[in-house]
Amino acid sequence: MLKVMFVCCAGMSTSLLVEKVKKAAESKGIEMDVYALAEADAKKDLAQADILLLGPQVRYLESSFREGIKGTDTKLGVVDMMAYGRLDGEKVVQQIIDLSNE
Amino acid sequence: MSKNNSSIMDKFIMAAAKIGQQRHLGAIRDGFVTLMPLMIVGSIVTLINNFPISTGSSGGKQFLKEILAENKFMSWLTDLNGNVWWGTFGMLSILAVVTIAYYLAKSYDSDSLSAAIISLASFMCAVPQMAIFALEDGTEAAGWGFINYNYVNASGLFVAIAIALISTEIFVRLSKSGKLVIKMPEGVPPAVSRSFAALLPGMLTVLAVTFVTVMIGKIASQNIFDLITETIMNPLTKSSGSLAFGLIIVFLTHLLWAFGIHGPNIFEGILQPLNVNAIATNTELLAAGATTGFVIFNKSFLDAFVYMGGSGVGLGLIIAILLVGKSKQNRMVARLGAAPALFNINEPVLFGLPIVLNPIFVVPFVLGPIICLIIAYGATAIGFLPVARAVIPWTTPPILSGLFVTGFAWQGPVIQVINLALSILIYIPFVKIADKAEMKKEGNQATA
Repeated sequence: MLKVMFVCCAGMSTSLLVEKVKKAAESKGIEMDVYALAEADAKKDLAQADILLLGPQVRYLESSFREGIKGTDTKLGVVDMMAYGRLDGEKVVQQIIDLSNE
Repeated sequence: MSKNNSSIMDKFIMAAAKIGQQRHLGAIRDGFVTLMPLMIVGSIVTLINNFPISTGSSGGKQFLKEILAENKFMSWLTDLNGNVWWGTFGMLSILAVVTIAYYLAKSYDSDSLSAAIISLASFMCAVPQMAIFALEDGTEAAGWGFINYNYVNASGLFVAIAIALISTEIFVRLSKSGKLVIKMPEGVPPAVSRSFAALLPGMLTVLAVTFVTVMIGKIASQNIFDLITETIMNPLTKSSGSLAFGLIIVFLTHLLWAFGIHGPNIFEGILQPLNVNAIATNTELLAAGATTGFVIFNKSFLDAFVYMGGSGVGLGLIIAILLVGKSKQNRMVARLGAAPALFNINEPVLFGLPIVLNPIFVVPFVLGPIICLIIAYGATAIGFLPVARAVIPWTTPPILSGLFVTGFAWQGPVIQVINLALSILIYIPFVKIADKAEMKKEGNQATA
Protein backbone atom coordinates (compact mmCIF):
# COMPACT_ATOMS: atom_id res chain seq x y z
CA MET A 1 0.00 0.00 0.00
CA LEU A 2 1.19 3.48 -0.87
CA LYS A 3 2.25 5.41 2.22
CA VAL A 4 1.72 9.17 1.94
CA MET A 5 2.97 11.63 4.56
CA PHE A 6 1.91 15.27 4.65
CA VAL A 7 4.01 17.80 6.52
CA CYS A 8 3.06 21.25 7.78
CA CYS A 9 3.93 23.37 10.82
CA ALA A 10 1.78 21.85 13.53
CA GLY A 11 0.04 19.16 11.46
CA MET A 12 -3.30 20.87 12.09
CA SER A 13 -4.49 22.48 8.88
CA THR A 14 -3.05 19.59 6.91
CA SER A 15 -5.12 17.06 8.82
CA LEU A 16 -8.18 18.65 7.18
CA LEU A 17 -6.74 17.90 3.77
CA VAL A 18 -5.80 14.35 4.78
CA GLU A 19 -9.45 13.49 5.36
CA LYS A 20 -10.41 14.78 1.91
CA VAL A 21 -7.55 12.90 0.26
CA LYS A 22 -8.57 9.67 2.00
CA LYS A 23 -12.13 10.03 0.72
CA ALA A 24 -11.04 10.89 -2.81
CA ALA A 25 -8.67 7.91 -2.92
CA GLU A 26 -11.38 5.61 -1.60
CA SER A 27 -13.88 6.70 -4.22
CA LYS A 28 -11.26 6.06 -6.89
CA GLY A 29 -10.56 2.64 -5.41
CA ILE A 30 -6.92 3.40 -4.65
CA GLU A 31 -5.48 2.05 -1.42
CA MET A 32 -3.36 4.57 0.43
CA ASP A 33 -2.16 5.13 3.96
CA VAL A 34 -2.38 8.91 4.38
CA TYR A 35 -1.35 10.89 7.45
CA ALA A 36 -0.11 14.32 8.53
CA LEU A 37 2.83 15.14 10.79
CA ALA A 38 4.32 18.31 12.21
CA GLU A 39 7.71 19.37 10.86
CA ALA A 40 9.57 18.33 14.03
CA ASP A 41 8.06 14.82 14.05
CA ALA A 42 8.50 14.24 10.35
CA LYS A 43 12.21 14.99 10.54
CA LYS A 44 12.78 11.94 12.74
CA ASP A 45 12.40 9.70 9.70
CA LEU A 46 11.80 11.39 6.39
CA ALA A 47 11.98 8.23 4.32
CA GLN A 48 9.25 6.44 6.30
CA ALA A 49 6.69 7.11 3.54
CA ASP A 50 6.70 6.46 -0.20
CA ILE A 51 5.42 9.94 -0.92
CA LEU A 52 6.30 13.00 1.11
CA LEU A 53 4.13 16.07 0.50
CA LEU A 54 4.83 19.50 1.95
CA GLY A 55 2.08 21.98 2.74
CA PRO A 56 2.58 25.17 0.72
CA GLN A 57 3.27 27.18 3.88
CA VAL A 58 6.40 25.14 4.57
CA ARG A 59 7.62 24.82 0.99
CA TYR A 60 10.87 26.43 2.15
CA LEU A 61 11.68 23.04 3.70
CA GLU A 62 11.86 21.48 0.24
CA SER A 63 15.62 21.77 -0.27
CA SER A 64 16.57 20.43 3.17
CA PHE A 65 14.03 17.59 2.92
CA ARG A 66 15.30 16.70 -0.55
CA GLU A 67 18.73 16.43 1.01
CA GLY A 68 17.25 14.22 3.74
CA ILE A 69 15.69 11.67 1.36
CA LYS A 70 18.71 11.39 -0.94
CA GLY A 71 19.40 7.78 -1.80
CA THR A 72 15.96 6.52 -0.74
CA ASP A 73 12.93 5.69 -2.87
CA THR A 74 10.79 8.36 -1.23
CA LYS A 75 9.41 11.00 -3.59
CA LEU A 76 8.93 14.59 -2.53
CA GLY A 77 6.45 17.22 -3.67
CA VAL A 78 4.75 20.44 -2.56
CA VAL A 79 0.95 20.43 -2.51
CA ASP A 80 -0.53 22.80 -5.07
CA MET A 81 -1.52 25.95 -3.19
CA MET A 82 -5.10 26.27 -4.47
CA ALA A 83 -5.77 22.55 -4.11
CA TYR A 84 -4.56 22.79 -0.52
CA GLY A 85 -6.68 25.81 0.31
CA ARG A 86 -9.83 24.48 -1.29
CA LEU A 87 -9.25 21.06 0.24
CA ASP A 88 -9.46 19.55 -3.23
CA GLY A 89 -8.82 15.89 -2.40
CA GLU A 90 -9.10 14.65 -5.98
CA LYS A 91 -6.51 17.03 -7.31
CA VAL A 92 -4.08 16.04 -4.58
CA VAL A 93 -4.69 12.32 -5.22
CA GLN A 94 -3.82 12.98 -8.86
CA GLN A 95 -0.63 14.71 -7.72
CA ILE A 96 0.22 11.69 -5.55
CA ILE A 97 -0.34 9.31 -8.48
CA ASP A 98 1.80 11.46 -10.77
CA LEU A 99 4.58 11.56 -8.19
CA SER A 100 4.53 7.79 -7.64
CA ASN A 101 4.76 7.22 -11.41
CA GLU A 102 7.77 9.48 -11.78
CA MET B 1 6.08 41.07 -12.12
CA SER B 2 9.39 42.41 -13.36
CA LYS B 3 12.56 40.37 -13.10
CA ASN B 4 14.06 42.76 -10.59
CA ASN B 5 11.07 42.43 -8.28
CA SER B 6 11.05 38.69 -8.37
CA SER B 7 14.69 38.48 -7.38
CA ILE B 8 14.04 40.73 -4.37
CA MET B 9 11.10 38.47 -3.50
CA ASP B 10 13.28 35.38 -3.84
CA LYS B 11 15.84 36.89 -1.50
CA PHE B 12 13.12 37.77 0.99
CA ILE B 13 11.74 34.22 0.93
CA MET B 14 15.22 32.76 1.21
CA ALA B 15 15.96 34.94 4.24
CA ALA B 16 12.66 33.96 5.86
CA ALA B 17 13.32 30.30 5.15
CA LYS B 18 16.72 30.60 6.79
CA ILE B 19 15.19 32.08 9.96
CA GLY B 20 12.43 29.45 9.86
CA GLN B 21 14.95 26.66 9.71
CA GLN B 22 17.44 28.20 12.11
CA ARG B 23 18.44 25.34 14.36
CA HIS B 24 18.57 27.20 17.68
CA LEU B 25 15.36 29.17 17.18
CA GLY B 26 13.70 25.92 16.14
CA ALA B 27 14.90 24.20 19.32
CA ILE B 28 13.53 27.04 21.47
CA ARG B 29 10.21 26.94 19.59
CA ASP B 30 9.82 23.15 19.86
CA GLY B 31 10.97 23.24 23.47
CA PHE B 32 8.22 25.68 24.36
CA VAL B 33 5.64 23.69 22.41
CA THR B 34 6.42 20.79 24.76
CA LEU B 35 5.93 23.09 27.77
CA MET B 36 2.56 24.31 26.50
CA PRO B 37 0.35 22.05 28.69
CA LEU B 38 2.34 23.09 31.77
CA MET B 39 2.13 26.79 30.95
CA ILE B 40 -1.62 26.52 30.37
CA VAL B 41 -2.35 24.64 33.58
CA GLY B 42 -0.09 27.11 35.40
CA SER B 43 -2.14 29.96 33.95
CA ILE B 44 -5.44 28.37 34.92
CA VAL B 45 -4.51 27.88 38.58
CA THR B 46 -3.10 31.42 38.76
CA LEU B 47 -6.31 32.82 37.31
CA ILE B 48 -8.42 30.94 39.84
CA ASN B 49 -6.30 31.88 42.84
CA ASN B 50 -6.01 35.52 41.80
CA PHE B 51 -9.64 35.92 40.80
CA PRO B 52 -10.52 39.35 42.19
CA ILE B 53 -13.53 39.57 44.47
CA SER B 54 -14.82 42.88 45.77
CA THR B 55 -15.82 42.65 49.39
CA GLY B 56 -19.15 44.42 49.81
CA SER B 57 -19.32 47.58 51.87
CA SER B 58 -15.62 48.35 52.24
CA GLY B 59 -15.24 48.16 48.44
CA GLY B 60 -11.72 46.78 48.80
CA LYS B 61 -10.54 44.03 46.48
CA GLN B 62 -9.63 40.61 47.70
CA PHE B 63 -8.32 37.63 45.81
CA LEU B 64 -10.22 34.37 45.71
CA LYS B 65 -7.27 32.55 47.32
CA GLU B 66 -7.59 34.66 50.47
CA ILE B 67 -11.26 33.81 50.82
CA LEU B 68 -10.65 30.13 50.12
CA ALA B 69 -7.79 29.95 52.61
CA GLU B 70 -10.06 31.15 55.41
CA ASN B 71 -12.58 28.39 54.70
CA LYS B 72 -11.41 25.14 56.27
CA PHE B 73 -13.33 23.00 53.75
CA MET B 74 -11.98 24.85 50.72
CA SER B 75 -8.43 25.69 51.74
CA TRP B 76 -7.15 22.58 49.95
CA LEU B 77 -8.06 24.28 46.66
CA THR B 78 -5.70 27.22 47.19
CA ASP B 79 -3.00 24.74 48.16
CA LEU B 80 -3.61 22.74 45.01
CA ASN B 81 -3.52 25.86 42.85
CA GLY B 82 -0.44 27.17 44.60
CA ASN B 83 1.40 23.87 44.31
CA VAL B 84 0.60 23.48 40.62
CA TRP B 85 1.87 27.02 40.00
CA TRP B 86 5.03 26.18 41.95
CA GLY B 87 5.77 23.11 39.83
CA THR B 88 4.98 24.72 36.46
CA PHE B 89 5.55 28.50 36.28
CA GLY B 90 7.65 28.50 39.43
CA MET B 91 10.12 26.01 37.89
CA LEU B 92 9.77 27.07 34.28
CA SER B 93 13.46 27.70 33.62
CA ILE B 94 14.41 24.22 34.84
CA LEU B 95 11.78 22.67 32.55
CA ALA B 96 12.82 24.82 29.60
CA VAL B 97 16.51 23.85 29.89
CA VAL B 98 15.56 20.20 29.47
CA THR B 99 13.20 20.57 26.50
CA ILE B 100 15.33 23.08 24.57
CA ALA B 101 18.53 21.06 25.02
CA TYR B 102 16.64 17.92 24.00
CA TYR B 103 15.43 19.39 20.71
CA LEU B 104 18.76 21.01 19.88
CA ALA B 105 20.62 17.71 20.41
CA LYS B 106 17.98 15.92 18.37
CA SER B 107 18.48 18.31 15.46
CA TYR B 108 22.14 17.19 15.46
CA ASP B 109 21.12 13.52 15.68
CA SER B 110 22.99 13.39 18.96
CA ASP B 111 22.11 11.67 22.26
CA SER B 112 19.24 13.99 23.21
CA LEU B 113 18.49 12.60 26.68
CA SER B 114 22.13 12.90 27.75
CA ALA B 115 22.30 16.43 26.34
CA ALA B 116 19.14 17.41 28.22
CA ILE B 117 20.37 16.07 31.55
CA ILE B 118 23.86 17.53 31.15
CA SER B 119 22.38 20.94 30.29
CA LEU B 120 20.09 20.73 33.30
CA ALA B 121 23.06 20.00 35.58
CA SER B 122 25.06 22.85 34.03
CA PHE B 123 22.13 25.18 34.68
CA MET B 124 21.69 24.05 38.28
CA CYS B 125 25.44 24.56 38.84
CA ALA B 126 24.87 28.23 38.04
CA VAL B 127 21.90 28.70 40.40
CA PRO B 128 22.88 30.66 43.56
CA GLN B 129 22.84 28.53 46.72
CA MET B 130 22.89 31.21 49.39
CA ALA B 131 19.74 32.70 50.84
CA ILE B 132 19.49 35.83 52.94
CA PHE B 133 16.73 36.05 55.51
CA ALA B 134 15.53 39.19 57.22
CA LEU B 135 15.16 38.53 60.94
CA GLU B 136 12.60 40.04 63.26
CA ASP B 137 15.14 42.25 65.00
CA GLY B 138 16.00 43.87 61.66
CA THR B 139 19.29 42.05 61.07
CA GLU B 140 19.94 39.60 58.28
CA ALA B 141 21.11 36.04 58.38
CA ALA B 142 22.56 34.06 55.50
CA GLY B 143 22.13 30.37 55.01
CA TRP B 144 23.53 27.88 52.52
CA GLY B 145 21.62 25.22 50.56
CA PHE B 146 18.57 27.11 49.30
CA ILE B 147 17.23 27.54 45.79
CA ASN B 148 15.37 30.80 45.29
CA TYR B 149 12.40 30.28 42.97
CA ASN B 150 13.07 33.74 41.54
CA TYR B 151 16.05 32.24 39.70
CA VAL B 152 14.27 29.22 38.26
CA ASN B 153 10.88 30.68 37.29
CA ALA B 154 10.28 32.73 34.15
CA SER B 155 12.82 35.36 35.30
CA GLY B 156 15.60 32.83 34.76
CA LEU B 157 14.55 31.94 31.23
CA PHE B 158 17.27 33.92 29.49
CA VAL B 159 20.02 32.16 31.43
CA ALA B 160 18.19 28.86 30.97
CA ILE B 161 17.99 29.22 27.19
CA ALA B 162 21.62 30.36 26.93
CA ILE B 163 22.93 27.46 29.04
CA ALA B 164 20.74 24.90 27.24
CA LEU B 165 22.04 26.03 23.84
CA ILE B 166 25.69 26.47 24.82
CA SER B 167 26.11 23.26 26.82
CA THR B 168 24.34 21.22 24.14
CA GLU B 169 26.60 22.73 21.47
CA ILE B 170 29.67 21.80 23.51
CA PHE B 171 28.37 18.33 24.34
CA VAL B 172 27.40 17.54 20.73
CA ARG B 173 30.75 18.71 19.38
CA LEU B 174 32.74 16.77 21.95
CA SER B 175 30.75 13.57 21.39
CA LYS B 176 31.09 13.85 17.62
CA SER B 177 34.85 14.39 17.73
CA GLY B 178 35.36 10.70 18.51
CA LYS B 179 38.63 11.32 20.35
CA LEU B 180 36.90 11.51 23.71
CA VAL B 181 34.91 8.34 23.38
CA ILE B 182 36.26 5.60 25.63
CA LYS B 183 36.76 2.47 23.55
CA MET B 184 35.62 -0.71 25.22
CA PRO B 185 37.37 -4.00 24.55
CA GLU B 186 35.62 -6.51 22.32
CA GLY B 187 33.00 -8.58 24.06
CA VAL B 188 31.54 -5.66 26.01
CA PRO B 189 27.84 -5.37 25.05
CA PRO B 190 27.17 -2.42 22.69
CA ALA B 191 24.63 -0.95 25.13
CA VAL B 192 27.31 -0.68 27.79
CA SER B 193 29.87 0.92 25.50
CA ARG B 194 27.26 3.41 24.31
CA SER B 195 26.69 4.51 27.90
CA PHE B 196 30.40 5.25 28.13
CA ALA B 197 30.28 7.35 24.96
CA ALA B 198 28.66 10.27 26.76
CA LEU B 199 30.98 10.03 29.74
CA LEU B 200 33.91 12.32 28.95
CA PRO B 201 31.96 14.80 26.78
CA GLY B 202 29.34 15.09 29.54
CA MET B 203 31.88 15.65 32.30
CA LEU B 204 33.82 18.22 30.29
CA THR B 205 30.64 20.10 29.33
CA VAL B 206 29.47 20.54 32.92
CA LEU B 207 32.96 21.63 33.99
CA ALA B 208 33.40 24.08 31.10
CA VAL B 209 29.99 25.74 31.44
CA THR B 210 30.29 26.02 35.21
CA PHE B 211 33.80 27.47 34.89
CA VAL B 212 32.34 30.21 32.69
CA THR B 213 29.40 30.96 35.01
CA VAL B 214 31.71 31.06 38.04
CA MET B 215 34.14 33.42 36.27
CA ILE B 216 31.30 35.70 35.18
CA GLY B 217 30.17 35.82 38.81
CA LYS B 218 33.70 36.69 39.99
CA ILE B 219 34.32 39.37 37.37
CA ALA B 220 30.90 41.02 37.66
CA SER B 221 30.83 40.39 41.43
CA GLN B 222 27.19 39.37 41.19
CA ASN B 223 25.65 36.08 40.09
CA ILE B 224 24.90 35.48 36.41
CA PHE B 225 21.13 35.56 36.99
CA ASP B 226 21.07 39.03 38.57
CA LEU B 227 23.55 40.27 35.98
CA ILE B 228 21.49 39.03 33.00
CA THR B 229 18.21 40.21 34.52
CA GLU B 230 19.54 43.74 34.99
CA THR B 231 21.48 44.13 31.76
CA ILE B 232 19.41 42.11 29.25
CA MET B 233 16.14 40.75 30.56
CA ASN B 234 14.61 43.92 32.02
CA PRO B 235 15.32 46.18 29.02
CA LEU B 236 14.23 43.38 26.66
CA THR B 237 10.97 42.77 28.53
CA LYS B 238 10.21 46.48 28.45
CA SER B 239 10.83 46.95 24.73
CA SER B 240 9.15 43.66 23.75
CA GLY B 241 5.95 44.93 25.36
CA SER B 242 5.94 48.14 23.34
CA LEU B 243 3.59 49.05 20.54
CA ALA B 244 6.55 49.54 18.18
CA PHE B 245 7.73 45.95 18.68
CA GLY B 246 4.16 44.71 18.22
CA LEU B 247 3.79 46.63 14.97
CA ILE B 248 7.06 45.23 13.60
CA ILE B 249 6.05 41.64 14.45
CA VAL B 250 2.51 42.00 13.05
CA PHE B 251 3.71 43.70 9.86
CA LEU B 252 6.47 41.15 9.14
CA THR B 253 4.23 38.17 9.98
CA HIS B 254 1.62 39.25 7.46
CA LEU B 255 4.16 40.25 4.86
CA LEU B 256 5.60 36.71 5.08
CA TRP B 257 2.13 35.20 4.70
CA ALA B 258 1.52 37.42 1.68
CA PHE B 259 4.39 35.52 0.08
CA GLY B 260 3.00 32.20 1.25
CA ILE B 261 5.34 31.62 4.20
CA HIS B 262 4.00 30.69 7.62
CA GLY B 263 4.81 33.97 9.39
CA PRO B 264 3.68 33.09 12.94
CA ASN B 265 5.76 29.90 12.87
CA ILE B 266 8.87 31.88 11.95
CA PHE B 267 8.52 34.21 14.95
CA GLU B 268 7.39 31.53 17.42
CA GLY B 269 10.92 30.90 18.71
CA ILE B 270 11.30 34.58 19.61
CA LEU B 271 7.80 35.31 20.88
CA GLN B 272 7.32 32.26 23.14
CA PRO B 273 10.07 32.96 25.70
CA LEU B 274 9.14 36.67 25.70
CA ASN B 275 5.50 35.74 26.23
CA VAL B 276 6.07 33.57 29.29
CA ASN B 277 8.21 36.28 30.81
CA ALA B 278 5.61 38.96 30.00
CA ILE B 279 2.71 36.98 31.50
CA ALA B 280 4.72 36.18 34.63
CA THR B 281 5.72 39.84 35.00
CA ASN B 282 2.12 40.99 34.61
CA THR B 283 0.83 38.40 37.09
CA GLU B 284 3.43 39.46 39.66
CA LEU B 285 2.65 43.16 39.20
CA LEU B 286 -1.08 42.51 39.53
CA ALA B 287 -0.60 40.47 42.69
CA ALA B 288 1.44 43.36 44.12
CA GLY B 289 -1.41 45.74 43.30
CA ALA B 290 0.47 47.69 40.62
CA THR B 291 -1.41 49.74 38.02
CA THR B 292 1.45 50.55 35.64
CA GLY B 293 4.59 48.96 34.28
CA PHE B 294 2.78 46.07 32.55
CA VAL B 295 4.08 44.30 29.47
CA ILE B 296 1.15 45.12 27.19
CA PHE B 297 2.19 43.45 23.94
CA ASN B 298 2.88 39.72 24.11
CA LYS B 299 1.95 36.60 22.20
CA SER B 300 -1.17 35.78 24.22
CA PHE B 301 -2.42 39.35 23.71
CA LEU B 302 -1.67 39.00 19.99
CA ASP B 303 -3.46 35.63 19.73
CA ALA B 304 -6.55 36.95 21.49
CA PHE B 305 -7.03 40.41 20.00
CA VAL B 306 -5.42 40.24 16.55
CA TYR B 307 -5.24 36.65 15.28
CA MET B 308 -8.99 36.05 15.55
CA GLY B 309 -9.64 33.34 13.01
CA GLY B 310 -5.93 33.16 12.28
CA SER B 311 -3.51 35.60 10.67
CA GLY B 312 -5.05 38.67 9.04
CA VAL B 313 -8.05 38.52 11.40
CA GLY B 314 -9.25 35.67 9.17
CA LEU B 315 -12.67 35.52 10.75
CA GLY B 316 -13.30 39.11 9.61
CA LEU B 317 -12.58 38.16 6.01
CA ILE B 318 -14.82 35.09 6.14
CA ILE B 319 -17.72 37.07 7.60
CA ALA B 320 -17.17 39.85 5.04
CA ILE B 321 -17.36 37.34 2.17
CA LEU B 322 -20.47 35.66 3.57
CA LEU B 323 -22.12 39.09 4.07
CA VAL B 324 -21.46 40.77 0.74
CA GLY B 325 -19.57 38.29 -1.47
CA LYS B 326 -21.20 37.26 -4.74
CA SER B 327 -18.64 35.01 -6.39
CA LYS B 328 -19.54 31.34 -5.93
CA GLN B 329 -15.90 30.31 -5.65
CA ASN B 330 -15.13 32.84 -2.91
CA ARG B 331 -18.26 31.95 -0.94
CA MET B 332 -17.40 28.27 -1.20
CA VAL B 333 -13.91 28.91 0.19
CA ALA B 334 -15.33 31.07 3.01
CA ARG B 335 -17.80 28.36 4.02
CA LEU B 336 -15.06 25.73 3.88
CA GLY B 337 -12.77 27.89 6.00
CA ALA B 338 -15.34 28.94 8.60
CA ALA B 339 -15.09 25.94 10.95
CA PRO B 340 -11.27 25.86 11.16
CA ALA B 341 -11.23 29.66 11.50
CA LEU B 342 -13.22 29.38 14.73
CA PHE B 343 -10.07 27.74 16.08
CA ASN B 344 -7.84 30.34 14.44
CA ILE B 345 -6.70 28.04 11.63
CA ASN B 346 -6.64 30.08 8.49
CA GLU B 347 -4.86 28.07 5.81
CA PRO B 348 -7.93 27.11 3.75
CA VAL B 349 -8.71 30.79 3.10
CA LEU B 350 -5.08 31.86 2.80
CA PHE B 351 -4.39 29.35 0.05
CA GLY B 352 -7.88 28.76 -1.30
CA LEU B 353 -9.07 32.28 -1.94
CA PRO B 354 -6.12 32.86 -2.18
CA ILE B 355 -4.66 35.69 -0.10
CA VAL B 356 -1.12 34.51 -0.81
CA LEU B 357 0.38 36.41 -3.76
CA ASN B 358 -2.96 38.10 -4.35
CA PRO B 359 -2.53 41.88 -4.79
CA ILE B 360 -6.20 42.58 -4.00
CA PHE B 361 -6.28 41.03 -0.54
CA VAL B 362 -2.75 41.86 0.61
CA VAL B 363 -3.75 45.42 1.60
CA PRO B 364 -6.59 44.60 4.05
CA PHE B 365 -4.75 41.46 5.17
CA VAL B 366 -1.85 43.58 6.46
CA LEU B 367 -3.83 46.69 7.41
CA GLY B 368 -6.60 45.02 9.46
CA PRO B 369 -4.32 43.35 12.02
CA ILE B 370 -2.30 46.56 12.44
CA ILE B 371 -5.46 48.51 13.27
CA CYS B 372 -6.66 45.77 15.64
CA LEU B 373 -3.29 45.82 17.38
CA ILE B 374 -3.37 49.60 17.82
CA ILE B 375 -6.92 49.51 19.22
CA ALA B 376 -6.27 46.71 21.69
CA TYR B 377 -2.98 48.28 22.73
CA GLY B 378 -4.59 51.69 23.17
CA ALA B 379 -7.49 50.20 25.14
CA THR B 380 -4.99 48.56 27.50
CA ALA B 381 -2.84 51.68 27.80
CA ILE B 382 -5.80 53.86 28.85
CA GLY B 383 -6.80 51.25 31.41
CA PHE B 384 -10.00 49.98 29.77
CA LEU B 385 -8.77 46.55 28.68
CA PRO B 386 -7.20 44.50 31.51
CA VAL B 387 -3.63 43.47 30.74
CA ALA B 388 -2.94 39.92 29.44
CA ARG B 389 -2.27 37.60 32.38
CA ALA B 390 -2.61 34.05 31.09
CA VAL B 391 -0.91 31.88 28.49
CA ILE B 392 -3.63 30.60 26.18
CA PRO B 393 -3.41 27.98 23.43
CA TRP B 394 -3.43 29.81 20.09
CA THR B 395 -6.35 27.63 18.99
CA THR B 396 -8.70 29.07 21.67
CA PRO B 397 -11.81 30.42 19.86
CA PRO B 398 -12.31 34.21 19.90
CA ILE B 399 -14.52 35.57 22.76
CA LEU B 400 -13.30 32.68 24.96
CA SER B 401 -9.71 33.74 24.34
CA GLY B 402 -10.62 37.34 25.24
CA LEU B 403 -12.15 36.14 28.49
CA PHE B 404 -9.28 33.84 29.48
CA VAL B 405 -6.42 36.15 28.62
CA THR B 406 -7.83 39.01 30.74
CA GLY B 407 -8.77 36.81 33.70
CA PHE B 408 -12.51 36.68 32.88
CA ALA B 409 -13.02 40.41 32.27
CA TRP B 410 -15.97 41.42 30.06
CA GLN B 411 -13.80 44.07 28.40
CA GLY B 412 -11.84 41.32 26.64
CA PRO B 413 -14.70 40.06 24.44
CA VAL B 414 -15.90 43.65 23.90
CA ILE B 415 -12.58 44.67 22.35
CA GLN B 416 -12.61 41.46 20.31
CA VAL B 417 -16.05 42.26 18.90
CA ILE B 418 -14.99 45.84 18.08
CA ASN B 419 -11.82 44.59 16.36
CA LEU B 420 -13.74 41.94 14.46
CA ALA B 421 -16.33 44.48 13.27
CA LEU B 422 -13.59 46.86 12.11
CA SER B 423 -11.79 44.13 10.22
CA ILE B 424 -15.04 43.16 8.48
CA LEU B 425 -15.49 46.79 7.39
CA ILE B 426 -11.91 46.91 6.13
CA TYR B 427 -12.33 43.70 4.13
CA ILE B 428 -15.73 44.52 2.55
CA PRO B 429 -14.55 46.89 -0.23
CA PHE B 430 -11.81 44.43 -1.21
CA VAL B 431 -14.26 41.50 -1.25
CA LYS B 432 -16.31 43.52 -3.74
CA ILE B 433 -13.27 44.22 -5.93
CA ALA B 434 -12.33 40.53 -5.84
CA ASP B 435 -15.93 39.68 -6.76
CA LYS B 436 -15.72 41.79 -9.89
CA ALA B 437 -12.50 40.07 -10.96
CA GLU B 438 -13.88 36.63 -10.14
CA MET B 439 -17.26 37.27 -11.84
CA LYS B 440 -15.46 38.28 -15.00
CA LYS B 441 -13.62 34.97 -14.93
CA GLU B 442 -16.75 32.95 -14.11
CA GLY B 443 -18.64 34.86 -16.85
CA ASN B 444 -15.91 34.15 -19.36
CA GLN B 445 -15.97 30.48 -18.49
CA ALA B 446 -19.74 30.37 -18.93
CA THR B 447 -19.67 31.94 -22.40
CA ALA B 448 -16.63 30.02 -23.58
